[in-house]
Amino acid sequence: MALNGIQIFKMTPKTNCKECGSPTCMAFSMKVAQGAAEISACPHMSEEALATLAEATAPPMKTIKVGTGDKEYTLGGETVLYRHDKTFVSRTRYAISLCSCMDDATVDAKLEAMKKVDYERIGEQMYVEMVYVNYHEGDAQDKYLDIVKKAAATGRVLVLGCADEAVAKAALDICKDSKPILNGANAANAEAMSKLATDAGVVLGVSGADLNELYDTVAKLEGLGNKNLVLDTTGADVKATFANTVQVRRAAIKNEDRTFGYPSIVNLSKIAKDDKYMQEALASLFTMKYGSIVVLDEMSYGAALPLYGLRQNLFTDPQKPMTVEPGIYPINGGDENSLCLTTVDFALTYFVVSGELERSGVPCNLLISDAAGMSVLTAWAAGKLSSGTIAKFVQENVEDKVKCRKLVIPGKVAVLKGDLEAKLPGWEIIVAPDEAVQLVKFMKEFK
Amino acid sequence: MAKFMVVGERIHCISPVIREAFEKRDPEPILKRAKEQIEAGATYIDLNIGPAENDGEDLMKWGVKLIQENFDNIPLALDTANKAAIEAGISVYNRDKGKPIINSADAGDRLSYIDLAAHNDAIVFALCSAGAVPADADERMVFCQQMLEHGLTLGMEAEDLWFDPLFLVAKGMQEQAQHIMNATRMMNEMGLITTGGLSNISNGMPKQIRPIVDSFMLAMCMANGLSSIIANPCDQKLMETVKTCDMLLNNTMYADSYLDL
Amino acid sequence: MPFNQKPEKFAAKINTVTIGNGDKAIALGGESVLPFYAFDGPIDNAPKVGVEVTDLGVDESVPGVKAYYEGCSSVAEMAKKASEMEGADFVVLSLKGGDPNGEDKPTEDLVAIVKEVVEALGDYPLVVEGSGNVEKDSELLTKVSEACQGKNALIMSAKEENYKTVGASAGLAYGLNVGAESAVDINLAKQLNVITTQLGVNAEKIVMNIGNAAVGYGYEYVVSTMDRIRNAALSQDDATLQMPIITPVSIDAWSVKESMASEEDMPEWGPAEERGIGMEIMGAAADLVSGSHAVILKHPQSVATISKMIKELV
Repeated sequence: MALNGIQIFKMTPKTNCKECGSPTCMAFSMKVAQGAAEISACPHMSEEALATLAEATAPPMKTIKVGTGDKEYTLGGETVLYRHDKTFVSRTRYAISLCSCMDDATVDAKLEAMKKVDYERIGEQMYVEMVYVNYHEGDAQDKYLDIVKKAAATGRVLVLGCADEAVAKAALDICKDSKPILNGANAANAEAMSKLATDAGVVLGVSGADLNELYDTVAKLEGLGNKNLVLDTTGADVKATFANTVQVRRAAIKNEDRTFGYPSIVNLSKIAKDDKYMQEALASLFTMKYGSIVVLDEMSYGAALPLYGLRQNLFTDPQKPMTVEPGIYPINGGDENSLCLTTVDFALTYFVVSGELERSGVPCNLLISDAAGMSVLTAWAAGKLSSGTIAKFVQENVEDKVKCRKLVIPGKVAVLKGDLEAKLPGWEIIVAPDEAVQLVKFMKEFK
Repeated sequence: MAKFMVVGERIHCISPVIREAFEKRDPEPILKRAKEQIEAGATYIDLNIGPAENDGEDLMKWGVKLIQENFDNIPLALDTANKAAIEAGISVYNRDKGKPIINSADAGDRLSYIDLAAHNDAIVFALCSAGAVPADADERMVFCQQMLEHGLTLGMEAEDLWFDPLFLVAKGMQEQAQHIMNATRMMNEMGLITTGGLSNISNGMPKQIRPIVDSFMLAMCMANGLSSIIANPCDQKLMETVKTCDMLLNNTMYADSYLDL
Repeated sequence: MPFNQKPEKFAAKINTVTIGNGDKAIALGGESVLPFYAFDGPIDNAPKVGVEVTDLGVDESVPGVKAYYEGCSSVAEMAKKASEMEGADFVVLSLKGGDPNGEDKPTEDLVAIVKEVVEALGDYPLVVEGSGNVEKDSELLTKVSEACQGKNALIMSAKEENYKTVGASAGLAYGLNVGAESAVDINLAKQLNVITTQLGVNAEKIVMNIGNAAVGYGYEYVVSTMDRIRNAALSQDDATLQMPIITPVSIDAWSVKESMASEEDMPEWGPAEERGIGMEIMGAAADLVSGSHAVILKHPQSVATISKMIKELV
């Protein structure tokens, strides 16, 4: 965010020397703020002030890319703390964690289990994007490298949790082309790790004993010219981790402290060790509050279904309605002989209607046509849901697939009944209740 | 944007009732007007004791204590030409609910009221004028910047200088209304807090017209970013305007009953 | 140069509402910080976890829930058992059997159950939820309030359509706490608080239920509604939105296909119970970090986990 005249004035020498050509420092500051003068016209600005001014025009949080090809993910780049202020842009990515302390069978089983979670939800493929491979200090290097190889073979983005320079170098040699994250820099080894990461062309993960140490280490790395970072905000316990993660993000976005303007890694395997349910709770918590990468022991469907659903909701743009793909959605085992119902493609409407239909237990087909992501009445008023659009959709997409010739339309557009009967010969048009909650009763009685 | 602030102007020595109460140190009329204004939604209460050349210090102390002790330390604007009286008032002022306001400085003879505010950690109303009527918005901005610079140099925070673009009577000087709005917008763009003596705008107009002119002027200024106003909060139309503009500017959350709040 | 920590300080705070009496009483709200932002300022009252039981008896569809209430022969026994659940802070008795579109149980029968539950729980904090039908609840909750007199219970819910009768009985006649229910609509949430206080109900006796959704089901509206309420309450000092928030999580969490589809139908998804617990836990955690002061759950595993999470955070 650009600085205003007052903020600039505070950095001037306030001597009114007139060397810049303006009568006073205040007048000069106002001109700079309006773009009518260059800050360099003042010969007395300090280095620090000039750096602050340059920083002020940079975005508050950097956008960091990891992985390659269709497995490239964007982290960070957020500009707000609350989604309603604009939108969140880079969704939280999830990693399962492996460790050099695990035996082969455990590692294999975890990787196999991870691969099972792979499904589509409203046009988005859901799976575990990353694998965190932790090097337990003192373990054999070869064992760690074996696990890195196995993890790399899955094609997921790797996060190498390794603070040992030699081991990290060997691991990078295996996987650096797939652009992993080397999560291993701390106050003691920052310089060496930074060189390793920079030479390999990968993102460096930084951690610190507390926020001050983390801050200093990031400042040091930036001083070395490395701004390709993520910050491991995992603390000693849940409370510290939450405090770190929120404060890092808030410092970046609200207080424009760019030293903390990087994505975060939150490692639940450390703070809720072996506690599956607590990890589920915390995965939700840190998806809501500012985890860019969240590391869990494992990902089952029991965790994935709610977690990815939450993420999909949270990262929708408040300005753009979430829509479902037009098509025929069978519910409760609906087949070609089952009753057809239709509504709009606005995701919330779809979810409410499909939820009630599921609850009724009656097999049916829900027909979704393109209504520009509007709710029923809005779509009708805008001409996006009309007898014409419904008839066209039914004729082009439904009649050859479904034998049933009964179509239920939303109660709020009962007015379309007559027109539809005219446009869809052979179909019986039925008007549903006004509200979705009445659908269960309607469906049960209809049957 | 923060919620709009109203400085209640009804405790003013120009009113015979108040003047008499000041002379006799009679709490009743003062408390009555304070109560009415607070209930109507005043954020600050202006305490104008007039020139008060003789007993200003004692009077201001009495007034400050009287109002604050009876109304949960509501913040006050101390309004007099007597600087010693202002300092005396501040010496007994309770800051729990907000800093005192000094009413007022300008870019001319009263520039030193900014020094007074700086020395006493107070807010100051800064009139964008050096005595004469400023020609347009640009001239107002020159005064604004002079006073801002003066205050900042004394170590004040910009948010403690509340700039008054100088509300002037519209009748006979109609072109001034838009200069006031333009100056308000420019100050707002600089991130400054603004205020003004609203009722000047309708001076000399018939009684039934004044609330209408005041309200529309206020709405137009709020649209340009005005942060506060010195006015009569007991004017229902005015407070409806404040609440509605605050709602439309998303400073307060809408509810069907928002006008009752 | 150390990190310049800038705590977010608000002058305003959330109202404190007490439910129950004596040692077991719970307090909701009272803080001046965002949810779990203990690094900004004190959180004297940690969020609370409620356990839902219904007049319909034990939910046989979820093995862990069924097993927990094994041997209970009445709703009162279930309520007592629920109050002993690890992590439970209060019990929620839902009278959904009263819904005219469902079982349509008579008011007298439901009030009799409430009386037994009140008897069984003593001073332990109780929340009573109506049938969900506004007409039925006008009558039902009036009689329920009478049955709860002196117990400082929370009666849910007063809605726009029946706040006058529910507010007048629960809040005015019997001095109980009133739940003000809206459906993910911040303006209505505020309006209900305004008109309920205009009715004469003490603002410190109102708890908001601003509505909820299962995660994945339009949950973003819940997040933004809660974010904006907390923002208005603290940074705008909007006294009409400073009521603490209670959120029924279990109803939505256990009624979507993620938690209802059987393992036979969706073999790759694994046991339905695990998915239901996941929906409940993640929904509750998200509600709490968005601004809920109390969540209503039903599975013992969810109650234990969320309670533990709260203790670790505050």
